[in-house]
Amino acid sequence: MGIAQFINPYVLYALLVLGAAGVGLAMPRRGTTPQIVGALVGALAFGLILLFMGLKAASTEGGVSNLPNIYFYIFSLIALGGALRVITHPKPVYGALYFILTVIASAGLFLILSAEFMAFALVIVYAGAILITYLFVIMLATQAPEEGQDEVLADYDVSAREPIAASVVGFLLIAVLTTMMFRGTSQLPAPAPVNQNELLASMPRKVERALLTTGKIAEGDKFESLDAAANVIIIKKADGTLLTIPQTDWPEEMAVTNPEALGFNLLREHPGTIEIAGVILLMAMLGAVVLSRKQVQLDEDAKAARVTQLAHLDPGNEPGVQSPLELGSPTSNPTGGAAS
Amino acid sequence: MNVTTLTTLAQANFPEAMSQITLAHYLVISTAMFTIGLVGFLTRRNLIIMFLCTELMFQAAGIAMIAFGRYHLDLSGQSFVVFVLTVAAAEAAMALALVVLLFRRKESLSAEEWKDLQG
Repeated sequence: MGIAQFINPYVLYALLVLGAAGVGLAMPRRGTTPQIVGALVGALAFGLILLFMGLKAASTEGGVSNLPNIYFYIFSLIALGGALRVITHPKPVYGALYFILTVIASAGLFLILSAEFMAFALVIVYAGAILITYLFVIMLATQAPEEGQDEVLADYDVSAREPIAASVVGFLLIAVLTTMMFRGTSQLPAPAPVNQNELLASMPRKVERALLTTGKIAEGDKFESLDAAANVIIIKKADGTLLTIPQTDWPEEMAVTNPEALGFNLLREHPGTIEIAGVILLMAMLGAVVLSRKQVQLDEDAKAARVTQLAHLDPGNEPGVQSPLELGSPTSNPTGGAAS
Repeated sequence: MNVTTLTTLAQANFPEAMSQITLAHYLVISTAMFTIGLVGFLTRRNLIIMFLCTELMFQAAGIAMIAFGRYHLDLSGQSFVVFVLTVAAAEAAMALALVVLLFRRKESLSAEEWKDLQG
């Protein structure tokens, strides 16, 4: 047992080296860069890792049942490609949009893992709320291009810091993590199943509705109790007599769905954690409000840098004659000073 | 789907068991996404992109937790992703407020502008 059960380790390490090279090349750099080639090499490496894992899974005992869903491959390639583009795209707006792509592909992975509630919560909270906040801040905190000029990328967007070293370290981390993980998974304990009868007993209205719509009981009959030991539901009919419904007669609609089960798990097992999460959100909101209400003056260095930058753009204007505030106004025409 | 097979909550939510090999596929995806986020955090100099990369790492942790929860037929993995989402939202709000402050002061989003901060 070990890593060889999932993929040939030498193939994995070779492909990780390839992936590191690809990601390193794909990082933005000054001048002409082989970004496209790097992104393609990185994507190819990830694709090949998945392909080799799939081939290995199909050839081991159990065959096709060991293979993940075909949609797993589609979603994970989209997610990883999007993630790669988030970190390599020089423009922050596009990075945020690619992140939305990654989030939606991960929601697809969650759906395959039958976590329907989390899939939709992910799309709503991440793609709907968090990423929109990011987009707003990107728009607020980006300098508008001067009139008549093309958009110039800021210096810190154009070039990455130590791309090769970072990708080598990162992919070393993947190699170590995968090796460790695969050693561990063969010793996982057997799952402990939870009884759904207990949850159904907490949801009398759901049981009544399911039984009523399938015609097992009549209008006015009430849920009395659920005998977990005998797997029967006891219904109190309108005339006072008791009706017993064995498990074989339970309609399909009565099965506990993922959001219901998750709600029970959240509120029964982690009630304190939910309160703490609420407090964290409240404190974050207060902190963000307090921070952004603060009036901040432009730093002296930044002011000076701006004046020299504008003077450089517009040789006709003396830097010092106008205040920095007026210099910053978009109405100042770069050619206006020279013409007058 | 026959109701008699739905004897457990876990089986109601998870139609069939997941093999270790399938779990390994999800873990590899999670690891790769985490590493991409890490490499991005280390290399990019734009603060907004750096925080996007932390969100990528949260996302990868969520995939791993949900895959483990599916493998163990336990819902606690999904419950934890709810808290990960909470922390991610709180982190995004605070970090972006700080980024806006920095931009107002320095007119730049470069992480190196924080070098003046001391002790």
